[in-house]
Amino acid sequence: MNESKSQRKKSSKLGKIGQTLECYTFLAPAYVVFILFIFIPVGRSVYLSFFEYSLLSMRAPFFVGFENYMEMLNDKVFWTAVKNTVVYVLGTVPFRIALSLLIAVLLDSGRLYFKNFFRTCYFLPVVTSMVACAIIWRLIFDAGPAGVANRFIGIFGGSPQGWLADSSLAMLSVIIMSIWKDLGYCMMIYLAGLQGISPELYEASSIDGATAWQNFWHVTLPMLKPTTFFIVTTQMITSFQVFTQTYVMTGGGPGYSTTTLINYLYELGFNEFRMGYASTVAFILFIGLLIFSATLRRVFQAEELY
Amino acid sequence: MKRREKEKPNHLVRLGMVIKYLLLALGAVFMIIPFLWTVTTSLSPDSVLISFDIIPKEITFENYVRAWNFPRVFDESVNFGTFFLNSLIVAFFTTCLGILVDSLAGFILARRNIPGKDLLFYLALMTLMIPFHVVAVPMFLFVRNLGWLNTFQGQIVPFIASGFGLFMFKQYFQSIPLDLEDSAKIDGCSLLRIYFSIMLPLAKPVIGTMLIFKAMWSWNLFLWPLLIINDIQFKTVQLALTMFRGLNVTQWGLLCAGITIATLPIIILYLLMQNMFEKGITMGAVKG
Repeated sequence: MNESKSQRKKSSKLGKIGQTLECYTFLAPAYVVFILFIFIPVGRSVYLSFFEYSLLSMRAPFFVGFENYMEMLNDKVFWTAVKNTVVYVLGTVPFRIALSLLIAVLLDSGRLYFKNFFRTCYFLPVVTSMVACAIIWRLIFDAGPAGVANRFIGIFGGSPQGWLADSSLAMLSVIIMSIWKDLGYCMMIYLAGLQGISPELYEASSIDGATAWQNFWHVTLPMLKPTTFFIVTTQMITSFQVFTQTYVMTGGGPGYSTTTLINYLYELGFNEFRMGYASTVAFILFIGLLIFSATLRRVFQAEELY
Repeated sequence: MKRREKEKPNHLVRLGMVIKYLLLALGAVFMIIPFLWTVTTSLSPDSVLISFDIIPKEITFENYVRAWNFPRVFDESVNFGTFFLNSLIVAFFTTCLGILVDSLAGFILARRNIPGKDLLFYLALMTLMIPFHVVAVPMFLFVRNLGWLNTFQGQIVPFIASGFGLFMFKQYFQSIPLDLEDSAKIDGCSLLRIYFSIMLPLAKPVIGTMLIFKAMWSWNLFLWPLLIINDIQFKTVQLALTMFRGLNVTQWGLLCAGITIATLPIIILYLLMQNMFEKGITMGAVKG
């Protein structure tokens, strides 16, 4: 009797171990990919940033310590890229969010005919690939008199502009296109947020005789704070990583006026094939983003106290 | 309960409505005019100076034929269909395998108490904080060492597991009552059986939205394929579009036809499944 009891205990313990192992095999595919393609590469990226590693030269990668970081601090193109990226973020995110909020508020109001039609129109650029949109807008911003943009401002009596070929206008053109592209996405998120506001709040305020503007300012906006925080944070972080539109529309030019950080990273790693230096830039951008999102979170939490 | 009605002259209310519709309409027009213009240009013959109009004066499909065959200039065996096929293969496998892998992991993390489960979940969330560009260079070197440049697996495998998908599935599986598994356990069902016969069918809503999300993301992906694909036979639609980029003004019809061919499928798919699309893309963005 005693023997079989301990035997049963033993076999059930083995059985449990077997079950646990089975669970781990279920987890294995996902985590193998995470480790091989995310965690190890991140480590390797930091590691590589201390090396000069050229895929073009016959020389093996050699350790250079902080030389890459020093080079980066003195690198004019790097700082231009930083400036361009910041300009891009500040130029697109606030306007895109403000406009999308406006549209969302307009769409959300009670009875509205064509509501679905409008939503579709605004969301269409979102589902289209960035490459396609970038090429379309490159045509629109064509510098010749045939370009749609030039013809458009011609209607109002403006003279044809260089747009993407003009280093003072190129970034603006990219910004306009980027606002257009993702406005619908922000609008959707705000629409969802707006629907979470209980109508009783509006009823209460209109009993107090509030105008539409006062409603918006004192009811809608405050209730949208979580949504706004979410949108601002995610949009800013994504925008810092802008690449495709500048790559496709201008290739980073004219000069370096539309080269963003990731454009520069691409150039370093896949035009010049300097893997080590590219990793340095990549890592610094990563650190920057981490600090930035931590700061944003702090700002929001400080707000919450009120 | 009677509300004190604020007196507002009827014509002001009317004016407000008109302004509202006007603003919305202006915005909507701004949103879709680039597409309309592209289609119009694609349908116009080259002899017509690039039109500003929405409605083409003359309609011809020759640009589409030329766009379809355009890749032949670079490689005789390739036409536009090749690119579609490539994008489709990548999107299909990334989506299907991805959903499988993410749901398997999410299932275990949600419903089994194994040692280290919290740490593992935390690790998965951490992957969300790592932007792609940080791993781009090392991933490229790794894939190159594997001999996976210019292959399908090079485009699919790195993205099979997504912290986002895992998170979504875990949350969903957690909400399923425990007793649903009890009868299966009593019958001595294997873990795999439980997963396939019970969990997966229940997860249809999440699978649906993840499907759209992953498929669209994978179809539109540009940077990674740009890094690892050089061979025209393996190019995806997005990469292929850049081949058209260099065409000058006199060939804009051809260029616009290429763009239309590339984007029309997605747009049609979107119009057919609008709700699912909007849900999938903004998924997880808003709480509740």
